[in-house]
Amino acid sequence: MHEEYRKRIVEMVRKGKDGHIPSAFSIVDIIAILYKNYLRFDPENPDWEDRDYFILSKGHGCLALYVVLKSCGFITEDDLNMFCKPGGILGEHPDCTKIPGIEASTGSLGHGFSFAVGIALGLRIRGKSNRVFVLVGDGECHEGTIWEAANVANNLQLGNLCVMVDWNGSAAQLMPRDDFPSKWKAFGWTTIVIDGHSEAEIKSALSNINFCVNGAPIVIIAKTIKGKGVPMLEGHGIWHHKIPNEDEYKIIMEALS
Amino acid sequence: MKLKKIRQQFADTMLEVGQSDPNLVVLIGDISHFILQPFAKACPGRFYNVGICEPTIVSMAAGLAKTGFYPVVHTIAPFILERSFEQIKLDFCYQKLNGNLISVGSAFDYSNLGCTHHCYDDFALIKSLPNTQVVYPSSCAEFDILFKQTYNNSYLTLFRIPEVQHEQLIDPFLIKFGKAIKITEGKDITLVATGPQLKNAIEARNKLSGKGWDVEIIYVHTILPLDLPLIYESVEKTKKVLVVEEHNRFGGLGHDILQGVYNIKGMQFSSIAIDSFMHDYGTYEELCSQAGLSSDGIIRVIQNNFKKHM
Repeated sequence: MHEEYRKRIVEMVRKGKDGHIPSAFSIVDIIAILYKNYLRFDPENPDWEDRDYFILSKGHGCLALYVVLKSCGFITEDDLNMFCKPGGILGEHPDCTKIPGIEASTGSLGHGFSFAVGIALGLRIRGKSNRVFVLVGDGECHEGTIWEAANVANNLQLGNLCVMVDWNGSAAQLMPRDDFPSKWKAFGWTTIVIDGHSEAEIKSALSNINFCVNGAPIVIIAKTIKGKGVPMLEGHGIWHHKIPNEDEYKIIMEALS
Repeated sequence: MKLKKIRQQFADTMLEVGQSDPNLVVLIGDISHFILQPFAKACPGRFYNVGICEPTIVSMAAGLAKTGFYPVVHTIAPFILERSFEQIKLDFCYQKLNGNLISVGSAFDYSNLGCTHHCYDDFALIKSLPNTQVVYPSSCAEFDILFKQTYNNSYLTLFRIPEVQHEQLIDPFLIKFGKAIKITEGKDITLVATGPQLKNAIEARNKLSGKGWDVEIIYVHTILPLDLPLIYESVEKTKKVLVVEEHNRFGGLGHDILQGVYNIKGMQFSSIAIDSFMHDYGTYEELCSQAGLSSDGIIRVIQNNFKKHM
């Protein structure tokens, strides 16, 4: 699924000589399905007041978002070609002051979720029905602010907020004693666990969310594979921030064909 | 007559502004809850005692700004500024969002609570970031006037509220954001005071006038942007400047003034500021005295550090 997006991500990293391929591969299916099927937006008017908000709290996965934003018409092929180049708008973390369609400048983990809680609260105060989606990493959930925000959002009953967790096992490398879904349940969140690479399960989870002005916020915990789609990249090894050489590039492209 | 606390003025100003501006939202970290109840009642849905989670409160406020509100975050200085500095830096300043941070526990106001509750580097921290303003109102009128002049502009503004006031009557028409105020004319030395230290500066001036010193006092309530032209003009005349502030010597008001006037030929500079943790206990006044932040301290520095031109 979404092989063309994955290929484009690898090409960008090759050309830009930087980037996090496996972190993007673990979330590209979720982001693509969210934008293509559920998110309300207008690429001609990124600040459209009735839009839904998507915040990529794990900013280093931004290559996945860039290729989807391009396919949705927010940015151009030229923008992708200028990834990590002087004068370009796309860097290794998303910058909302440069990129149309980016709602938050993220990169330092543990910020985007709390920021999204503020957006969800603001929309509720205004009586608006926009929905707020925020994608966090499971490793990012080591940050204390994640649990501050989880606590606050539940106590404010921000039913217009959906958190999606990229549960790719990064967290468990360091802290394996962790019943992750139970934590979210204990914080009062409506908790759904899915396969983050299954189109049917992603669509089913998103379709069944009952967004409301006042209610328990929703977390979709998506089991994913870091580097999904290319066996050489999968897992938690050296590929986290590695640039493929010519031979490795061929292997990756072959695996995606 | 007992002075109204500036913190109470903060609550009164929130009530007044909140009733006329539906975009004002107040988030607090479990302090001042009771005095803000009139605002909470008059402005339903726009007051949140979020909890003891300051970094998240700051990020949430930035999120509120993203949806068009003028957020106000209020809690104790070290927690809103030092603990939450990265949230201020990234969620507000990097993203060019507007908001207001209202701190209490200025410098070592919470003297007996110890260094965990002190904050002497807030000017330096906020000044180091783009798109920011720093206001240090030290009377109720100053808070009320300066908040109304700035809360809805496009900057992130820190209001440092001190527990003690300078107790000087200043014409409200002279209180303008970004403008320092000349309190007294003098020809021998420029004494720049900020915060409650204005009171000590005036006492020192009065005592020194009998000892042959004619002191010009400039009062600064807006730390950033600083009214350097007024200060420069004064120092150009007196060739001597002493800055008195309840802030770390590094990155404080004195630092900015020195950078602004260093090229005045023959200029002499000194400052009374904080050099390290204020580790002792006692009243605010007792700790001030230890740091030289007193009228006697000011007199001592002027007489010891400056040569009077005869």
